[in-house]
Amino acid sequence: MSVFVIGYYTLLLAVSCLAAFYNKRQIFMVAFGLTLVSFILGIVGGTAALQAVAICAGLLGLAAMVSFAFREFLIQISSAEMGKELRTAPMTAAFGMFVIFVYIIMGIFAPWIAPHGEAEVIASAFAPADENMLLGADQLGRDMFSRIIYGARNSVGLALAATIAAFVLGALAGLLAATKGGWFDQFMGRVADVIMSIPSLIFALLMLSIFGPHIHVIIIAVAVIYAPRVFRLTRAVAGNVVVMDYIEAAQLRGEGTWYLIRREILPNSTAPLVAEFGLEFCFVFLLVAGLSFLGLGIQPPTADWGSMVRENATLISFGDITPLIPAAAIALLTVGVNFVVDWMLHRSSGLKE
Amino acid sequence: MTKRKEVLLEIKDLEIQGYSDETWVDIIKGVDLTLHRGEVLGLIGESGAGKSTIGAAAMGYARDGTRISNGSIEFDGMELTTASESEKRALRGHRIAYVAQSAAASFNPSHKLIDQYSEAPLQYRLKKRIEAQEDAMELYEKLRLPNPQEIGFRYPHQVSGGQLQRAMTAMAMSCKPDLIIFDEPTTALDVTTQIEVLAAIRDIVDEYNTAAIYITHDLAVVAQMADTIKVLLKGEEVEEATTKEMLDNPKEDYTKSLWAVRSFKRDQKERPKNATPLISVQGVDASYTGGAKVLDNVSFDVYEGMTVAVVGESGSGKSTTARVITGLLPPSKGEVLFKGEPFPPDYRNRTKDQLRQCQMIYQMADTALNPKVKIREIIGRPAQFYSGLSGAALKNRVDELLDLIELEPSQYYNRYPSELSGGQKQRIGIARALAAEPTFIVCDEVTSALDQLVAEGILRLLDRLQKELNLAYMFITHDLATVRSIADEVVVMQHGKVVEQGPKTEMFTPPHHPYTDLLLSSVPEMDPEWLTTLLEERGVDNVGDAATAQIDPNDPKIAG
Repeated sequence: MSVFVIGYYTLLLAVSCLAAFYNKRQIFMVAFGLTLVSFILGIVGGTAALQAVAICAGLLGLAAMVSFAFREFLIQISSAEMGKELRTAPMTAAFGMFVIFVYIIMGIFAPWIAPHGEAEVIASAFAPADENMLLGADQLGRDMFSRIIYGARNSVGLALAATIAAFVLGALAGLLAATKGGWFDQFMGRVADVIMSIPSLIFALLMLSIFGPHIHVIIIAVAVIYAPRVFRLTRAVAGNVVVMDYIEAAQLRGEGTWYLIRREILPNSTAPLVAEFGLEFCFVFLLVAGLSFLGLGIQPPTADWGSMVRENATLISFGDITPLIPAAAIALLTVGVNFVVDWMLHRSSGLKE
Repeated sequence: MTKRKEVLLEIKDLEIQGYSDETWVDIIKGVDLTLHRGEVLGLIGESGAGKSTIGAAAMGYARDGTRISNGSIEFDGMELTTASESEKRALRGHRIAYVAQSAAASFNPSHKLIDQYSEAPLQYRLKKRIEAQEDAMELYEKLRLPNPQEIGFRYPHQVSGGQLQRAMTAMAMSCKPDLIIFDEPTTALDVTTQIEVLAAIRDIVDEYNTAAIYITHDLAVVAQMADTIKVLLKGEEVEEATTKEMLDNPKEDYTKSLWAVRSFKRDQKERPKNATPLISVQGVDASYTGGAKVLDNVSFDVYEGMTVAVVGESGSGKSTTARVITGLLPPSKGEVLFKGEPFPPDYRNRTKDQLRQCQMIYQMADTALNPKVKIREIIGRPAQFYSGLSGAALKNRVDELLDLIELEPSQYYNRYPSELSGGQKQRIGIARALAAEPTFIVCDEVTSALDQLVAEGILRLLDRLQKELNLAYMFITHDLATVRSIADEVVVMQHGKVVEQGPKTEMFTPPHHPYTDLLLSSVPEMDPEWLTTLLEERGVDNVGDAATAQIDPNDPKIAG
């Protein structure tokens, strides 16, 4: 029995007893449940297993603390009204916002944060991590850590541009279709059907092999692929708004279509659209990463998470986790964005618990 | 009533709190209530007075976001505030039943009426399905539904609103409960259908000796139904007395003010001689895309500075007429003249000046104001759009308009519609119409969604504005009390046709067109004997739809 094991059980039991004493049912169930599970884990896996559990719990606790502090920070710096809204955000959403915040900082200040250049060869191929290179080197001997930081700028920037383009296209078409109705609505709907009937990855590959893998081609192709989804949602949301009496009042006043869209319809449909933006961003991000993985996305030597996974993929058979690091960066951002989107969806749908 | 013996429901010092803005606010502040077996208690008060909350609490139920914070609710010896959820659930539907305001929204549209009727008896294993169905037919017959054998096998959308409300009452009666809570059961109905529902409810409650809590804001209705009346104001009891005493001799000032609401009257104006009418609707036929005719040869005139009330039950084409005048629905035949000049039938072809002349005020202020736009823009936009005002001139104009509708400009200038009460919203709707500086305003049921006191304020405001700005109103309503107070001329519509029109005084003195007569006699009066007398006069089977159908087509008044 090492000191660690004794401390481990003492802590868990103390927390359980305190929770029981103060009538905190949920905390008690978690803490005591973990104690019971730990008995078995300890017998089967020994001290190592208990240590793994402790580390996971510590990481979770750390993430929770960071999220909590970050939410408080946001509440402090934002206006009173915004702060009230933020107070309703669950821990997961705060964590998501923190992740997004970190990525934004990473992208903007990449040249200052990264210790080495994006395409700078500083070591031998697949060199292991040392005090100079936090995560080791890639297949050409470039610093993995620096490339991940630069990748945030390139991958996220590209995905963001493509999503915004898709939204501008789709939302505009959807709003116009809902306001105009008639043949225009039908026409746009059928166009959307046609685009949606083509498998998205194949469509993107086709476009990229015809026009070549330039950044603007990627953005336009991805925007065209995702615009129909946005179109459908916008049209449905705006369709519910268009039938309201205040729209009729504005129409009777003689207002033009553009005013109707901008001042009357759009403010009443932003909530679901913003939530959809977050969701689509994840899909676009994954599609762009997939294209890079296939070698048709951002071209070397520009760092990009998708292509970094592919370039280092061979290492996985040697039991090295290096190729998983850019993959984890993608996963973390996707999860973070989804957390935030969940909260926004929850708010816009007006659901309570 | 001599039936009252034992106490069925006793609520003592009930306090209910609601959660808003991160704190608990008192909604019900200590209400006592005692209900005996077979007794009908009327709960009245404005919206927000806590009537429905008390109704729900009588079932031991607190709605989402509310909690019962203090007091006791004792139902037949059982304390509901401390009862477990399953105990309370065993009561609901079985011994306490609930009839909601909107029957159309409370029925499941994908099940037949009779299946929904037998759900509760089957659930509580009181009856077999066949027995429950036979029971239902018997009840349907007692509630005077047409074809009681067959009507239960229809879906909710296949029967009319009044019938649906009676089917709902039958459903509540299915387990022969001790207590039924009626939450504004006739508010959404026309006067003509309201009667048959009222008569049916009263008879059935009498027959089974069921106790009932009847929640409404309509005094005349509650006078027919209740043995005792309790008046509520902002979660507190104002007074309670037997119906007769309450009507003859109200004690509190607030109750007196409720009684006095219908007193607003103004002088009737005469048509100006030799003038062209401001708006003239001439021989208009209209229908919605390819459907049957909704309007059939509708003609009437509106003169400058006068109020024309258009009355009729729902579906009679009142609102469609308004849509034709505003240009939302181009007529298939006939035309609309403005000061003798034809108005383009489609609003898209009208000039800015033609559009500004004819404004509209909507029934539901909630949907008529954009919730994401501030008051200053809602009112300011028409002024900006038509008169090209901007900057300080626009602000002055908005202030002026807010003053006109009796709202303090500095306080409301930057608010959103959701921060206003129902009556204030309706005032903003009026200000928006005024901002265009029109000569003619269509008021589509502007007061029907409001409490009586608030509605009265709106009517006074509209009347004052008419005097100051020489406006003409077309006042669409089904409420004849409103017509009495504000109209100069009345147009009665039925099935898309104008059945009678003329000055108000003429319309309210006999001889009437039989349909007008039906409408007039169907309006509940404060006399508690009114319903009984009416039913004796007309006969039990001659109310509502039946009465409409029985109008003699050869009546001389129709030909004339």
